[in-house]
Amino acid sequence: MFDRRLLRNFDWLFFFIVIVVCAVGLINLFSASYQTGLSVFKKQLLWFALGIAAALFISFFDFKTLERYTSHMYVASILLLVIALIFGKEVSGSKSWISLGKHITIQPSELAKISIVLAIAKFYQGDFEVRPYGILDLVKPLLLVSLPLILVMLQPDLGTTLMILLISGSLVIFMGVRIKSIALLVILIIGLSYPTWHYFLKGYQRERIETFLDPSRDPLGSGYNALQSQIGAGSGKFFGKGFKKGSQTQLRFIPEQHTDFIFSVLAEEWGFIGGFLTLLLYFLIILWIVDTASLAKDKFSMIVSLGIASIFFWHALINVGMVTGLLPVMGVPLPLLSYGGSSLLTAMLGVGIVLGIRMRRLPVTKEEIAL
Amino acid sequence: MQRYKGRFLIATIIIVNAFLILVGRMWYLQILRGNEFERFSLDNRVRSIRIPAPRGRILDRRGREIVVNRPSFDLYILPEDIKNPDSLSSILSSILGMDVDNIRSKIKTSIQKSRFKPVLFTKDITRDQLAFIEARKSSLPGILVEASHIRKYNYGDLGAGLLGYMGRISEVELKSYPGVRPDDVVGKSGIEKGWEDYLHGKDGFIEMVTDAYGREVNLTLFQEDLSRKDSLPGADVILSIDLDLQYAAEEALGDRAGAAIAVNVKSGEVLALVSHPTFDPSDFIKGIDSTKWKSLIEDKSYPLTNRATQGIYPPGSVFKIVTAAAGLKEGVINENTYFYCPGSYRFGKKTFKCWKNGGHGSLNLHQALVGSCDVYFYNIAERLGIDRLSGYIKRFGFGTPTGIELSERVGISPSREWKSKTFKKPWYEGETIVTAIGQGYISATPLQVAMSTAAVANGGKLFKPHIVREVISTNGKRLIGYHPQENGYLGIEERIINVIKEALKGVVNEPSGTGRRARLDEMVVAGKTGTAQVVSLTVDSDKESHKDHAWFTSYAPANNPEVAVTVLVEHGGKGGAVAAPIVKQILEVYLKLKKEGSV
Repeated sequence: MFDRRLLRNFDWLFFFIVIVVCAVGLINLFSASYQTGLSVFKKQLLWFALGIAAALFISFFDFKTLERYTSHMYVASILLLVIALIFGKEVSGSKSWISLGKHITIQPSELAKISIVLAIAKFYQGDFEVRPYGILDLVKPLLLVSLPLILVMLQPDLGTTLMILLISGSLVIFMGVRIKSIALLVILIIGLSYPTWHYFLKGYQRERIETFLDPSRDPLGSGYNALQSQIGAGSGKFFGKGFKKGSQTQLRFIPEQHTDFIFSVLAEEWGFIGGFLTLLLYFLIILWIVDTASLAKDKFSMIVSLGIASIFFWHALINVGMVTGLLPVMGVPLPLLSYGGSSLLTAMLGVGIVLGIRMRRLPVTKEEIAL
Repeated sequence: MQRYKGRFLIATIIIVNAFLILVGRMWYLQILRGNEFERFSLDNRVRSIRIPAPRGRILDRRGREIVVNRPSFDLYILPEDIKNPDSLSSILSSILGMDVDNIRSKIKTSIQKSRFKPVLFTKDITRDQLAFIEARKSSLPGILVEASHIRKYNYGDLGAGLLGYMGRISEVELKSYPGVRPDDVVGKSGIEKGWEDYLHGKDGFIEMVTDAYGREVNLTLFQEDLSRKDSLPGADVILSIDLDLQYAAEEALGDRAGAAIAVNVKSGEVLALVSHPTFDPSDFIKGIDSTKWKSLIEDKSYPLTNRATQGIYPPGSVFKIVTAAAGLKEGVINENTYFYCPGSYRFGKKTFKCWKNGGHGSLNLHQALVGSCDVYFYNIAERLGIDRLSGYIKRFGFGTPTGIELSERVGISPSREWKSKTFKKPWYEGETIVTAIGQGYISATPLQVAMSTAAVANGGKLFKPHIVREVISTNGKRLIGYHPQENGYLGIEERIINVIKEALKGVVNEPSGTGRRARLDEMVVAGKTGTAQVVSLTVDSDKESHKDHAWFTSYAPANNPEVAVTVLVEHGGKGGAVAAPIVKQILEVYLKLKKEGSV
């Protein structure tokens, strides 16, 4: 299964960029959390080590092995989501967590993103349609996405729901959908939004959406969070206030500062220059993964890469958009920077898969054949 | 995967653009609006705590403290920290002895109105209440105690009418006092109001760093941009009032409703200014409660009105000084002109009575002033006519503000034009007759009468009365000092004034004088009585509200006048019987003070 020659093709640069972003994340997390004890930082450090191991481990599998285990992973994800719903720990109104002992909790909805991407890739891999897909052709992937989607909505976790929709939607659209089908889907969504609004969404969720549409409804709630995070980022100016010197961060004005709003901490303490460089690294990672997709030898690898690219892309866009006040406040972490084991592990698994695909993108060189 | 090439291009374009938007947004927040957000972040963490400025003191002419400050412990509630309004209400109720429901509703409105700002709950809690609250601080979340300054009146209600009272600043006043906080107190009347700008002082502040939960933080990191400003205490106002004389005047007036004024005739400085009934300024320092306020407002004895400057009364016979001066100056009489008083005077179809039923017989001006003969002045009036008389009314300061630094009313100086303007009716000659003895339309404040008396005493200078000698800042700088200022001159020759002054001396010192009860052995007093009828001359009534106002206006010593004293007793009866003894009492104290060298 494993060919030692593949190590020659291991993309050290890509791996290095990912490590750099993780290091930035750890430094930043240190500043955001050292005042309240370093347990958050230490846990993240542990998850980081675990993530690297997981990434390296998964990169050894080729696409056929991944494809073979896709169904298992999918079923496992669904089971974990169901367990979270039944036995889960409720944190601020959502049952998104499974407790494993005192110190470790996992968030199955994070890991489910990878499973969904794999499942969609598997569907397209086994399908040889060339023309754009119609609604009827897509029943299977729609069902595959809907099942975890509904489980996440039940938690309820608005941010992750939106993420799953965006990630799988990006893949389906990339693979081609008939215009008519898109129109039909839009009509369906509008038609479903009324009952969803009235019967499915909980009161506070409706409130969040209403607050987004009209922030003055709740100046002290999410409006306050959005404002404080913008003040944090904006007051960093070009060079930032310096490591551990961000007043918005250190005096706890930035809400959820080690998780969803971590980018505000970065922007406050490291300024425009720090934020820009970090965004540039993200940009490089995403383009690198898209490039991997375009170079992939098989459809499965291509779609999986694209799916992982879109996980990074949508998380970065929505999270930074939210932190800088372009988008409403919703629970979407910034991969590799936000505190959270499941999120970090998911991102590192994605990185590992991409590394694996990249290693196998080229035929083994002649020189090596000669060996 | 050649056939996806176009789509990869589109995906890349989308990604590039998305990142450009994010970077653009960062540029906007951090570069374009960076300074603004930097200020926001500073405002966020820096909380400014007010250091209230002590209000300036009010002192008497010899530097004795009349109004000072004392510390007050004020209870504030911070609505966001209140966990259980109901239990807090019941605890506060037992500490403060206030009604539970009242407290609860107050807390609930504060919670709705200003969640994150402390709201003043009650001022000036007692030491026991303070100790109780401090001891249970941890079990009373949302309760804060802050020290401030509050007025202290060393002599109770002494001089309340001129000192004035304090009250919470109103919307309108906020515009005229831009530096004052909306929950602060300002002077509402008297000196407190007139010198608000000097007395108030400037609040200082101390800044501290707080975290997002409003807790004070002692990180050295954020301390550098903190500033503090000490408060600037208000300036002291030194009155021309002599506390001893003021006290004597209040004692002399006693329970009677009325006013008493003592003025330095050579400078216009007010030495005492009394209005009775009055109020207790201490009732206002905590913010007066509505029932007390209502009873003060609705009180028919008008305790909030300063009668000395705001009460307008018919001057009655004290006005004969003006008529006499006018008659002499215009030449319609001289000191040897005799008229016969049969006890009444016929003018047209009407008969005007003299106060003395049997009449005074034949008498000259001196005798007429001494005995206050009405008929003699009716004669002058008929010969003068209103047009000439009204000119003198104005010269003596009636119908114009005196310019004192207190709220005042002006009364009425009647004339032909005044009547046609006010009533659209012509002047009737009969009205001139009653004007001559200070009845009819004419009205004046006791202060106006006092100033006109002082003008006669000093030979013709109508001074602007002053009640403030100087304003001195806390660092000892003299901000304002007053000098004698004349409002005008009587414009009457010394010879004529001396005729009148001789007569006024006679009023007090001659056996037939109406003001004999103001006579002093050690100092020659001159003066004029007045018994002002409240209703028309023809009505006779014993009803208290129809009783005559008693006047006595005087100056002393008669030959070298220093002080003018005017007393009015509302519905007091005869001026000679009621007002003259009060003046005497005041002058006795003046004399004593003079001997001590303090006036």
